[in-house]
Amino acid sequence: MTAVTHPRQIVLRSPRERLALKLPLRAVLVLCLLLLALFLTIAVSLATGSYGVALGDVLDTLRGITISRAIDNVVWEFRFARTLAAALVGAMMALSGAALQNATRNGLADPSLVGVSQGAALAVVTLTVVFPDISSSWRPWAAFAGAILVALAVQGLARTRQGGSTIRFILMGIGLSAFISSITSAMMTYGEIDRAMAALAWLAGSINAASWGDVWTLLAWCAVLLPALLAISRTMSALRFGEAAAIGLGAPVKLVRNLQLAVAVALAAIATSVVGPLGFVGLIAPHAAQRLAPAGMAMHLILTAAIGALLVSLADLIGRAAFAPIQIPAGLLTALIGVPLFVALLLRSRATTH
Amino acid sequence: MTSATATDTVLTARHPVRAWSGVPVLLAVLVGAFLLHIAVGAKPLPLGTVIEALTQFDPKVFDQVIIMNLRLPRAVLAVVVGASLSLAGALMQGVTRNPLADPGLLGLTAGASFAVVMVTAFTGMTNAALVPWIAMVGALGAALVVYFIARFVPGGATPLSLTLSGAAISAFLGALISIAHLLGEDTFENLRVWLTGGLAGRDINLLWYVGPWIAIALAAGLALAPRVTVLAMGDEVAQGLGVRTGRLKVQLLAVVVVLTACSVALAGPLGFIGLVIPHIVRLYVGSDYRWIVPYAALTGAVYLLGVDIIARIAIPPREISTGIITAMVGAPLFVHLVRQRTR
Repeated sequence: MTAVTHPRQIVLRSPRERLALKLPLRAVLVLCLLLLALFLTIAVSLATGSYGVALGDVLDTLRGITISRAIDNVVWEFRFARTLAAALVGAMMALSGAALQNATRNGLADPSLVGVSQGAALAVVTLTVVFPDISSSWRPWAAFAGAILVALAVQGLARTRQGGSTIRFILMGIGLSAFISSITSAMMTYGEIDRAMAALAWLAGSINAASWGDVWTLLAWCAVLLPALLAISRTMSALRFGEAAAIGLGAPVKLVRNLQLAVAVALAAIATSVVGPLGFVGLIAPHAAQRLAPAGMAMHLILTAAIGALLVSLADLIGRAAFAPIQIPAGLLTALIGVPLFVALLLRSRATTH
Repeated sequence: MTSATATDTVLTARHPVRAWSGVPVLLAVLVGAFLLHIAVGAKPLPLGTVIEALTQFDPKVFDQVIIMNLRLPRAVLAVVVGASLSLAGALMQGVTRNPLADPGLLGLTAGASFAVVMVTAFTGMTNAALVPWIAMVGALGAALVVYFIARFVPGGATPLSLTLSGAAISAFLGALISIAHLLGEDTFENLRVWLTGGLAGRDINLLWYVGPWIAIALAAGLALAPRVTVLAMGDEVAQGLGVRTGRLKVQLLAVVVVLTACSVALAGPLGFIGLVIPHIVRLYVGSDYRWIVPYAALTGAVYLLGVDIIARIAIPPREISTGIITAMVGAPLFVHLVRQRTR
């Protein structure tokens, strides 16, 4: 890799110039700041809680120095897994939203608005309440199946003879979400009470139960899905100009759009299976990335992931610190931030007028 | 999105004779559903006992006490709430020319619930007489916010922008309700049941406070119905025909808010009733709101009685929340409407 610096841009080239990355300077700076903020949030998150640990001690513990058994335990076993899970889930939800918005060409798309999260939720609640004997390691698969079924249903119902329509897509999502949520509630009301309570905590979108096992699951899926997303990012940027233009540019539009949807659904499903439905992260992050630093698709996706990770980490930190000892699930806080932004986007959008 | 009017004017207005013909049938069905609702339950009671209890009540007979104290109040609630929400939905669809209008979808029920939850949380209020007033303030506030957001979306208050801003406001208020719920778990033990939307175990005494307002609003809705037909043809047409549209809209908003808020106060947030019933009614009586409004009220009462019967007998010995079933029935219809009415 050789790096050539143009004014206000950094260009990275692979040896035979088969791959070249043009990075706007601003995007790189923003990314650095975001990562710094994420690092700080994680550090503070590790230090705060019912058992306070000094920041310096946290850093020492993470370096492998044992200060006391208790601190070791608290930081490694309880807080670190949870904090990492929050960041990973945030990044996945954000990327899912970005891919969904690109594939549907609708700036208002979000996994929780178009029923994908609800589909995953219904599948997991069914597993928890109706089949409690099945190991929870099946959760991601169930969530994936539920999410993809709903995504297909919404796509199918929204399709017209003239092709897909973004407005119908969102409205279908609202209708199907209501329907699926009612089935989920039915299960919760007549399922066994302790199983229902376990499902309830998960449904609010809380991260407090995340373990190292969850972190590894998330990481494993990320290792598969993120390269897939980056691989199609080039065609995704062609899709930004609209389907006809992308076909004109020679992009395999249909394949890429389907791939994009599949990756978006998979990301949302896996994230949902671990922490429950986290609304509006997928809506906020891509728009924030676009606003902070307009960049090419690959860089845009990286920024989006960083913002998502920061957002959910912050939401998780605030949720457990603000009203301690009561913990507010991160999903509720992301909704509180996300809805005003949704309204702001609605007020600016032209897509909704026809 | 084609407006409701375009489709409605294509439908020829049904002949009034046909519209009248449905009334006795509907009334008979209502009475039948009412009696059946009372008879069905954990302990099925013969219809004869039900009628006996209603006509010559004997406090010494145990079955009759069950009927008078538990089942009759619930049946009355179903009738009142079903009629109120359906009539509110019908008026909303007419005045906004929005086939997707419903007090739940446009954020009114969320606003009413939110207001009640917040006031209860922060003041520890337990005065039942105040609940409907608080709910009205909340429903009105949410309605105005949703309307103004939709209005300033490019393209104006279309069915789409109204539905989207309604969904957004509902999500926001829902998150706040959940947070309040978590912060004060003890206070919310009572509200939790109420928030799922249902008719079981409701305090019938609330009807004494709410009933008069519902009666006034229902009467006002029926009285305003003829002008809604004109309004549904468009503001300019209505003004040309001498309707003061601004004043009429304020009056209709007041009726809708009162009906929704009182229903929420009585039975919690019940979704999709106001969406479903007017559409079913239109299939029979066409686009004339003089018929749609009263039919919607009667059909809504029958519908909620039926839904509540299903809720009670579907999975014995347990009960499903009534609100869950209304969503299960209503959401597919919503999907169907979106398919039909949007390009």
